[in-house]
Amino acid sequence: MDGFDHAQPDSSADDSAELEMLKSDPEIAGMFIGEALDHLGTIEATVLALESSPGDVKLLNDMFRPFHTIKGNAGALGVVSVQETAHKVENLLDLGRSGKHAIGQDEIDVILKAVDVLTTMIGGLKLKLDNQPAPDMTAERKALMAAVEALIQGGPKPGAAAPAPSVAATIVAESMANGPAAAQVLAELASAITVAPAADTAEAAAAAAAGANRAMAANVKMDTVKVDTRKLDNLVDMVGELVIVQAMINEDPGLKGHTDERLTRNLSQLKRITTDLQRNAMAMRMMPVKQTFQKMARLVRDLGRKSGKIVELELSGEDTELDRQVVEDINDPLMHMVRNSVDHGIEDADRRIQSGKPPHGKLSLSAYHHGGSIVISVADDGAGLNTEKIRRKAVTQGLIGESDVLSDSEIHQLVFRPGFSTADKVTEISGRGVGMDVVRRNVEALRGKIEIQSVAGRGTMFMIKLPLTLAILDGLLLSAAGERYVLPTFAVCESLRPKPEQIHAIQGRPHMIQVRNALLPLASLGTLIGRHEEERPAHERIAVVIEDDGRRVALLVDELLGKQEVVIKSLGGTFSRVRGVAGGAILGDGRVGLILDAAGLTSLVCSSSALAA
Amino acid sequence: MSHAATMVESDSAADKKGAKPGKYLTFELASEEYGVPVLKVREIMKIMPITAVPQVPPHVKGVINLRGKVITVVDLRLKFGLEAQNPTDQTAIVVVEIAVDGGNVLTGIIVDSVSDVLNIVQDELEETPAFGDHVVTDYLSGMAKVKGKVKILLDLDQALGWDARSRAGE
Repeated sequence: MDGFDHAQPDSSADDSAELEMLKSDPEIAGMFIGEALDHLGTIEATVLALESSPGDVKLLNDMFRPFHTIKGNAGALGVVSVQETAHKVENLLDLGRSGKHAIGQDEIDVILKAVDVLTTMIGGLKLKLDNQPAPDMTAERKALMAAVEALIQGGPKPGAAAPAPSVAATIVAESMANGPAAAQVLAELASAITVAPAADTAEAAAAAAAGANRAMAANVKMDTVKVDTRKLDNLVDMVGELVIVQAMINEDPGLKGHTDERLTRNLSQLKRITTDLQRNAMAMRMMPVKQTFQKMARLVRDLGRKSGKIVELELSGEDTELDRQVVEDINDPLMHMVRNSVDHGIEDADRRIQSGKPPHGKLSLSAYHHGGSIVISVADDGAGLNTEKIRRKAVTQGLIGESDVLSDSEIHQLVFRPGFSTADKVTEISGRGVGMDVVRRNVEALRGKIEIQSVAGRGTMFMIKLPLTLAILDGLLLSAAGERYVLPTFAVCESLRPKPEQIHAIQGRPHMIQVRNALLPLASLGTLIGRHEEERPAHERIAVVIEDDGRRVALLVDELLGKQEVVIKSLGGTFSRVRGVAGGAILGDGRVGLILDAAGLTSLVCSSSALAA
Repeated sequence: MSHAATMVESDSAADKKGAKPGKYLTFELASEEYGVPVLKVREIMKIMPITAVPQVPPHVKGVINLRGKVITVVDLRLKFGLEAQNPTDQTAIVVVEIAVDGGNVLTGIIVDSVSDVLNIVQDELEETPAFGDHVVTDYLSGMAKVKGKVKILLDLDQALGWDARSRAGE
C-alpha cells in the first residue's frame, strides 16, 4: 500500500504540470484536443477494418500514423501522459508493421483499449481546461501500458502462448505501485503464468474503472463543428448566385423607375443582407495560415530544447489565406517537415561552428502566392541532405539497385518513399521513416506537389505547392479579343497607355516596350493565348506589365475594367492544358471570366519573343 | 435450342453497350432526331453567352456559369462534323452528366432544339446498324423507331467523355 500512497501525489503533480502547459495557450490546446479526438476516431475505424482483414500492412500503417501524430502533438504541448501512452502503442504497431509481431485479437483488443483510454484522457484534458472535474485515468493508463508492454515482450506469436512468468511478475509489480485497479490486477495475476491472460486481466480491471469515467467524458462538447467542405462549396456557390440575382433585380428596368419607398427600403435591406451573407460564407472557408504557423513556433521551440539545439524561427506570409480544409490538412505535413528539419537538418552548435556557421540554426516558414499556386516552404540552414547516406540506405532497403545511376535530385526524391529514414536510431522526435511519406501523401491529397531542394552544407528547403482552387483572388478585370479576363493583382506591376515611341517593332509587329529604363518583351494578350483578334496600333491600347519569378513582360489589352475579388473555380480536366489560363471566375453579370496565369503568360511571352528574335 | 442460345448472347451484348428501354429526351440536330437517357439530363436552358476558352478544338465552345459552377459547353453539330449554325430562338443547351474516371462531370451540349421526352420500349429499340468502316459508331448506343420515325440514341459517356476528361491544346 506504500506504493499506492506514493503514486497518487506523483501523478497529480504530473497532471498539474501538463495542465499548466496547456493553459499557457488554450487555443492551441483546443486544436490539439480536437485533432487528437479526430485521429482517435480514425484509428478506431481502422482497427475495426483490421479485425476483418488481419495482417493488412496498409491498415497497420494507417493506424500507426495517427498514433505518431498524436504522440508528436502531445509531446510538443508537454502532455507527457498522452505522449507516453501513444508512444507505447506505436512501438507495438511498429513491430506489427515490420512483421516482427503478428497483430492478432489480443493486440487489437489492446489497441482499442488504448483508443478508449486516450479518448477519455484527452477528453479529460478539455474538462480540466474548463476547470471541471475530470476522471483520473492514471490506473487505466498504467494498466494499459503494462498490457502493451506485455504483448511486446511476449515476442513474436505464437511465442506469446509460451509461459513467461518473469514478464507477468513485472506487470504485477508495476501494477501494485499504481492506482486502485492494482489490487484487482494483482489478485487475478497471481495465478497467471502466461502473457496473454495477463493482458486480458489488466484490461478487464481497467475496463471496470473506465465505466464510470466514460460517463464523465461524455460531457465533453466541441466548440466547433466540422463540415464537409463540399457542403461549404455548395453554399458559397449558391450565395454567389444569390448575389448576382440580387444585383440583377436591383438593376431591373421594371423596378428602375419606381418611387415606392417601402420597396426601396426592402431592396436595400436585401442587398445588405446578401452582401453580409456572402462575406460570411467566404470567411467560413478561408483562413490565414497564421494559426498553423504559430503552432510550428511552439513546436520548434520545444524541439530545440529537447535536442539541445538553438533554432531561430522566421515566419513570413502568415496572412496568406488558404482554404480552411487546406490549412487543417497542411498541419500534419508541416509538423513532420519542421520536426525533420530540426532533428536531421540543423546541426548542433559545435558542428555548426566547425563549418563556419553561426551557432544558432535558422528555420524559415513562409507562405506566398506563386504563379497560380500557393506555396508553403520550410527552409533550414542545416547540413543539407546527405546524398551518399540516402543512397546507401535506399540500396539496403532495396528501393534502388546497387549500380543505379541517380542524379542528386532523384536521390532527394527517395526521402518521400514509404518507410524511408536515414536516422540511425529511433528518437522520440523522429526517425521512424513515417515523416516524409506522410507529408507527400497529405500534400498530394490536396492536389498539391512537394518539392525538395538541398545543397550539402547549406541547408534544405521543402516547398509545398498547393493549387489556388477554392481560394479567393484579388483580380484586375480587363478585356481583350472580345472576352473579359481576370489577371491576379499580385502579378501586376503597372499598367500604362504606351506612346508610339515606347514601342519597338520587329518585322512590323510590336515586340518590345520601353518602360522607364527597362526594355520589356511585349505581346498582345488575345493573340498570345490563341484567340483571334484584330490588329490595332499599340498606342491605342493598354499595356499591363506583369511579373513572374523576377521576369517582367508587358501584355497589350483593350480595356481595364476595374478590380474585382473573385472566387477561383477550376475549369475541370477539359482545360487543364490551356496555357496562360489558371481557372474561371463568375463575374458580376453571372458570366464566366477566365483567370489568367501570370507564370504561364510570362513564359509564353518569353518563348514567343525568343522565337521572333 | 440454338436459337435460344443466340438470344441470350445478343441480350448480354445489349447489356454491355446497347440502349436500354426507358425515358429519353429527344432533340433535333440538323433535321435529325437524337435521344439521350433522361436520367443523364440535369437541365435544359436557352442558349446563353458562352465564354470562349482558347487553345481548344472548335467544337468546345467554352464555359458557362451553371448556378455557381463552371461547366464546359460542347457544340454537338461541330462535334459530329455537321455544318455550324447560328443560334436561333430554339437553340438550347442541354446539361448532361458524363461519367469520367469514376466521377460525374456536368457538360452542356448545344442542340438545335429540344423536342420531347419519349418512353422507348424494348420493341422500338434496334441495334446500331453497321455503317461501314468510315463511320464511327462508338457514340451511338442504338436506334429507336418510334411511330415510324428514327431516333438516334447517343452514348454520351463515349461521345463526350473525351472532351470532359480533356486534351485541350492537342
